[in-house]
Amino acid sequence: MKTLEDFTEFYNSTFSADLNVLEQERRKIAFKLLCVIAAVVCIAGVCLLIWRTRNSIHPVLIAPAVLCLSAGVVIYDFMTKRYVARFKSLVIGKIVHFIDENLNYDAEEYIDSATFMLSKIFTTKPNRYKGDDLVWGKTGATEIKFSEIKAEHESGSGKNRRHHTIFKGLFFIGDFNKHFTCETIVLPDTAEKLFGHFGQKLQSMNIFRGQLIKLEDPEFENYFVVYGDDQIQARYILSTSLMERIVEFKKKTGRVIYLSFVGSKVFVAVSYTKSLFEPRLFRTLLDFEPVREYFEDLQLAIGIVDDLNLNTRIWSKQ
Amino acid sequence: MWVLIVIGVVVLLAVVFIYNSLIAKKNQVKNVFGTIDALLKKRYDLLGNLIATVKGYMQHEKNLLREITEMRAKAVSGRMSDDEQVELDNKLSKMLGGIMVAIENYPDLKANENFMHLQRTLNELEEQISAARRAYNAAVTTYNNAVEMFPTNLAASLMGYKTKNVFEISPEQRENVDADKIFKS
Repeated sequence: MKTLEDFTEFYNSTFSADLNVLEQERRKIAFKLLCVIAAVVCIAGVCLLIWRTRNSIHPVLIAPAVLCLSAGVVIYDFMTKRYVARFKSLVIGKIVHFIDENLNYDAEEYIDSATFMLSKIFTTKPNRYKGDDLVWGKTGATEIKFSEIKAEHESGSGKNRRHHTIFKGLFFIGDFNKHFTCETIVLPDTAEKLFGHFGQKLQSMNIFRGQLIKLEDPEFENYFVVYGDDQIQARYILSTSLMERIVEFKKKTGRVIYLSFVGSKVFVAVSYTKSLFEPRLFRTLLDFEPVREYFEDLQLAIGIVDDLNLNTRIWSKQ
Repeated sequence: MWVLIVIGVVVLLAVVFIYNSLIAKKNQVKNVFGTIDALLKKRYDLLGNLIATVKGYMQHEKNLLREITEMRAKAVSGRMSDDEQVELDNKLSKMLGGIMVAIENYPDLKANENFMHLQRTLNELEEQISAARRAYNAAVTTYNNAVEMFPTNLAASLMGYKTKNVFEISPEQRENVDADKIFKS
């Protein structure tokens, strides 16, 4: 597994030269965008000034103001689109290949909503679903696939319309190293943390999930609640060492994580509030800090294979 | 009057609930124990194949292989108490561990595809057996809690339910596997 030291070396030796080329582009676009923003602000400012002096909102002035704002948005979108595509293939794609050259990257693609629902982690079906930055391929003996996902549920209409975010973050699918036929879902534990033994009773009555599976590892139980349809197979999957590894992974990320084991695959959802792998137009690319962040986010996802020991193939599944 | 009827119904429902939950917990223990049995039987079947495969290669461990064959025959015959069965299973687990370590000295055997497959299957089975034991311990703990906690303990004592023992390994099994010691004994 590549470490941050390896990446720093790669950054200093070859990567920074590529970034220099892209940095020139970023500066040009950032300058043009600043001009567009300045123009929009000027026109809007003039309109506002006229309204203030006349002391009334003149309908003739509304049209240019709105038109100018919309044009600004369209130009911004048009100008950044090409840069974002270039950035993703040059920066994100390269970091992915640096971590593991057998992996592929597509900035536009993402894990579809059917697969997202197949994981059984989330019970609410999203009606607004989008994503990007799909990485897929075989690392070691394990097939993996992950992308950024934003799944939302919109309910009501008109003034009562409400958005509810089901999940936003990194969604990972890996081939699990053991055969199994059951479904096991590992969710963050909130009820037991809040209400103790009574919370556990409430969890066992959850009608949307399978049987409650109480495991022996107190630290794991402290962080997670496990549901499944087979008490023995769930323990076969969640061996004592895997429980420890999941706890370590949870501590390492410091994020809300969900896992499920369905159809001989492991699904891992790591919540993020920020958008992942997006360029920052008004910040220099030559700064190591943001590039390090991209590396760490990608490494976190690809590293799940090592963190959960998925490449150990000592069982009949190879 | 109505109040009495309501109280009566509530008490009756509580009794039914406690009674059913105790039976469900007892059956869960029985069910998991059955699975352990099934998995152990599967292990005995595999052992036959394993011994047949490694016999030709392992010249220095003939005695150990003979011993395992005898143990397997004894286990399959089914003329043993539960305690004897558990003890035999523990012994077998230890010897299997020893065989797997000894295999490092036989490069030909390590390259044998049939053996590799057997080894993987055995690993899988050992993991499944361990999972079933953990499930059994979890089921017994839930059952024991119900037998000892109020108010279910009242119903449990009326039904003659007693606490059960969880699976525990012997102190010598807690030590690391020492292949040399196994083969010398």
